[in-house]
Amino acid sequence: MWLWFSKLGSPKWFYELSSKWLPWLVVFMAVAMTVGLLWALLFVPEDYQQGFTNRIFYVHVPVASISLACFPLMAGAGVITLVWKMKLADMVAKSAAPIGAWFTAVALITGAIWGQPTWGTWWVWDARLTSMLLQFFLLIGVIALRSAIESPDAAAKACALLSIVGAINVPIIKYSVEWWNTLHQPATDLTMNENGANGPEIWVPLLIMIVAVYSFFVISLILATRNEILVRERRSQWVMDIVAREKV
Amino acid sequence: MFSGIVFSSVGEFLQMGTYAFHVWTVYGVFAIFLFVNLYLPRVQRRQFIREQQRRAQRDAHTGKANAGQNAVQADDSVVPGESE
Repeated sequence: MWLWFSKLGSPKWFYELSSKWLPWLVVFMAVAMTVGLLWALLFVPEDYQQGFTNRIFYVHVPVASISLACFPLMAGAGVITLVWKMKLADMVAKSAAPIGAWFTAVALITGAIWGQPTWGTWWVWDARLTSMLLQFFLLIGVIALRSAIESPDAAAKACALLSIVGAINVPIIKYSVEWWNTLHQPATDLTMNENGANGPEIWVPLLIMIVAVYSFFVISLILATRNEILVRERRSQWVMDIVAREKV
Repeated sequence: MFSGIVFSSVGEFLQMGTYAFHVWTVYGVFAIFLFVNLYLPRVQRRQFIREQQRRAQRDAHTGKANAGQNAVQADDSVVPGESE
């Protein structure tokens, strides 16, 4: 168990394993993304109230819901960093912050573009939108904190702490639409219920897009983490070998 | 569940009812988002490799390591601007 754990934490092991898996993940994402986008754009019927703005959901909902995964991931990595001082965990946490900021920003932008024709406003200070904006600023805060502290060890600890604290915001975002009376609609029950508000022609493409965007998140996280590994391990022999072998 | 393409022409598809601006802006933002997060890491990786190769070469030239094949094993710890 401990052997496995320390092996899992080895940047070299992660780098080599991800080299093997990355091409398959990319193929999987490309297929899911193509099917999902074509289906959402071409085949989903027009909404009787919202017209074709319902196309926006197939981008907005996956991006927004996956943006919520970022803080729990960083908090989990933060705990591992603080307790076991695993190097890889901090590398993942560092790579995840900018990606999470991107996801949150895209969720906010696409939401605003949908809100304009539907609610008649780009922005309201309701609980869902405000807590989402807070998540964006928290992520910017984590990134700024890391670049502000010179010692990498101290930066890792500080960011781990801020990530754990910041993760408190995630359930607030998630349940904001139930706890408060928001303009943002509550989550839709995406069960297989045929009598539900939306039939499978609505939610099957959404499900495909969620899977596609999730694999996109994982791929960009792996790519960023691999770069971080190369930079931090640049004095170890195996990275030098990679540098020597590669033609750029 | 699958009732065919809901548009009858390319023009109709591009118009998206009256929401061409909203729908295509969202998909444009999404495309940029995908491109940046998949492409930028590749650029950064190439930059890093190039930088390290140059460094190794420079160290080899100054005679720090055995010039030639073992150049990459040269120590890069004296490079200015490093915080570690």
